[in-house]
Amino acid sequence: MENLIIEETKYTPQIEMNAKEGNIKIVGKSYPENTFEFYEPVMKWLEVYFNGNAKKQTILNLEIIYFNSSSSKLFFDLFDLLEEFNSKNLIMINWTYDEENESALEAGEDFKEDFENLTINLIVK
Amino acid sequence: MTNHENKLITEIEALKLDFETTTNKLIKDVRRQDKIMARSDKRQQLEYDELQNKLEEVKNLQKEIEDTQKEVVFTMGAIGESRSKETGNHVKRVAQYSKILALHYGLDERESEMLKQASPMHDIGKVAIPDSVLNKPGRFNEEERKVMDTHAQLGYDMLKMSDRPLLKMAATVAYEHHEKWNGKGYPNKLKGEEIHIYGRITALADVFDALGSSRVYKEAWDDERIFKMFKEERGEHFDPTLIDIFFDNLEEFLAVRDSLKDIN
Repeated sequence: MENLIIEETKYTPQIEMNAKEGNIKIVGKSYPENTFEFYEPVMKWLEVYFNGNAKKQTILNLEIIYFNSSSSKLFFDLFDLLEEFNSKNLIMINWTYDEENESALEAGEDFKEDFENLTINLIVK
Repeated sequence: MTNHENKLITEIEALKLDFETTTNKLIKDVRRQDKIMARSDKRQQLEYDELQNKLEEVKNLQKEIEDTQKEVVFTMGAIGESRSKETGNHVKRVAQYSKILALHYGLDERESEMLKQASPMHDIGKVAIPDSVLNKPGRFNEEERKVMDTHAQLGYDMLKMSDRPLLKMAATVAYEHHEKWNGKGYPNKLKGEEIHIYGRITALADVFDALGSSRVYKEAWDDERIFKMFKEERGEHFDPTLIDIFFDNLEEFLAVRDSLKDIN
């Protein structure tokens, strides 16, 4: 399975999805004009990955320093998808936030609260 | 009959279950949406507050820069004047007269205000004139006069390298404030409107104030004598339009002179 790499832009994060290592990294800002369009390849990649290509353990490192409201919605959708595959896969999510970034911390807490079955670690930078 | 009834019930039961799953999902989605919105509102508020604070900071910094610039420019002018034993108020009065002339001439408020700030630097070149010449009591001989007159060029040379609009303006003022409308001034014997309006304005403002002030080598002229001279020099030393503006708005100039008297 191909890796998915999307370079960082002013409005979008750096994305690295490595199928061989089971490593997924999304780091940076997220406020694209069309959020769902931008993340479409990410969601598609995950579907393909979890349908028969997943490693024993998959680690997601998410560090979003700034995001718009549709990105919040997108992350909820993303976690929905992870939850769907959680029972058959070992998934670990590291949500990293800066100490001073209250919005990022609150978002992390919201995800933890909403997705009790997922392993979400809040990591302060 | 019984079987038929049972089948319907089963279907309805299935529908009920499906309905519940769907409504639960909808409720969950709506809750999520509300949460996202609330978080987003809060974030937006913080962002906007921060933006405004930053903007305020920038504005204060900008004001600080402008004030510093004004002060530096004014101090430079005062240094120029102090070298020739004139008072700080001379500089202030020339500044005010220049603005009044500029506004009535038709320059806009911003440019007139700039000229008010730049005109005090007209004599900055005097810092490079030797004391023996600058403060000589009595009349200059020809050689001394030549040295003294270089202060226009010297002032221009000091300021011309700057890219700052205010200092550029001051360079022009320093360079051309001894040019005369009839072409008999210095350093370049410019004539009429060849002389920049900044130079023409400062020339009049400077002379009006110098004549009305007493110096080591001369008494202050009375107004009658100044006005007579101004009328004679209309179209000779001075731009006729500016002389007309001066007499049409005399009370404004006299009010400035009164409010900024020299304390001896």
